[in-house]
Amino acid sequence: MRDESKTIARGLQQRDPDLLDRLIEQYQYRLFRYLVYVTGDNARAEDFFQETWIRVLERGHQYDGKSKFEAWLFAIARHLVIDWQRSKKAQSLDALTDPELENPMQFANEKAPSPLQQTLAKESEENVQSSLKKIPAIYREVLVLRFQEELQIEEMASVLSIPVSTVKSRLYRGLDALRGALQGGTA
Amino acid sequence: MSENVHERGLQLIAKARVEGLSQSEGEWLAAHTRECDFCAEHARQTDRSLRALRTTAIPVPADLAARTQFRVRLRATELRQREPQRRMLWLACAASWIFGIASAPYVWRLFEWLGHRAGLPKLVWELGFGLWWTIPAAFAVIVLLLENARQSEEPDWTKQGG
Repeated sequence: MRDESKTIARGLQQRDPDLLDRLIEQYQYRLFRYLVYVTGDNARAEDFFQETWIRVLERGHQYDGKSKFEAWLFAIARHLVIDWQRSKKAQSLDALTDPELENPMQFANEKAPSPLQQTLAKESEENVQSSLKKIPAIYREVLVLRFQEELQIEEMASVLSIPVSTVKSRLYRGLDALRGALQGGTA
Repeated sequence: MSENVHERGLQLIAKARVEGLSQSEGEWLAAHTRECDFCAEHARQTDRSLRALRTTAIPVPADLAARTQFRVRLRATELRQREPQRRMLWLACAASWIFGIASAPYVWRLFEWLGHRAGLPKLVWELGFGLWWTIPAAFAVIVLLLENARQSEEPDWTKQGG
């Protein structure tokens, strides 16, 4: 893991285009998913996705390979979202979710081998989707980083630029909110 | 069963998922959930919620990676082209400063002579000498400002509405 990070750091310092191509391929799903959760909008997530990689190219020399690459990548993406949000004078990450949009979060079905399973899966996806929308973005974000991206709490603290204790308290509240939202959704 | 016991149970259920439990905490929780249906159900609900979160799939647009790779390569080319220009600018500034330092005593005398010839007060030609020194820095600032202005004229995705 450490060697991989060091190799990435060296490649980024040299702005190695092949390395960047490989990283874009490798992290496309995780970064896009994170951005969709944070922004609540696929089109906006696409913009931020591209801009994040441009920043990785421009600021690659700042990555020293001492931490996980994905933590650095998510931190860049997050700062971009926050900068954009500040420029729009929004007040919280939740402001990025446009309630006017019919489907601010688009989720794909898992496997749908039969029409019945497809319908059930769709209902379940929609349930999760609408439930997640009920959770404040700051909690949604920590849940995604911890339980989808499987980042360590210390790594999350560096991504979010907040103390470890705040990460933990957000996780506890987020977990509570998630359970509550899903229970409410299924009720 | 007291409320405190349930409260501890619920806290440990969350802690187990967030940061993990010590052995003694794990043993206590396992024993408690065997006896307490309420806490056992709470644990199951928590796990179901997390499973739902983990298994929710978000499709990545098919050409997003390719489009991004193209944009990144384009930007890399742009940066490579701009690098020698910037290097030249700083080299020119450095050379100008070095020349300025080396020629300072002569320029001082020149300003002094010009000041006497024109009958200017000492403060004025000393000020002129000071301004002469700021020329390289002012030149660098102008070039950088022009470059920044040119960059800001380029289409900026963050300015898109919505």
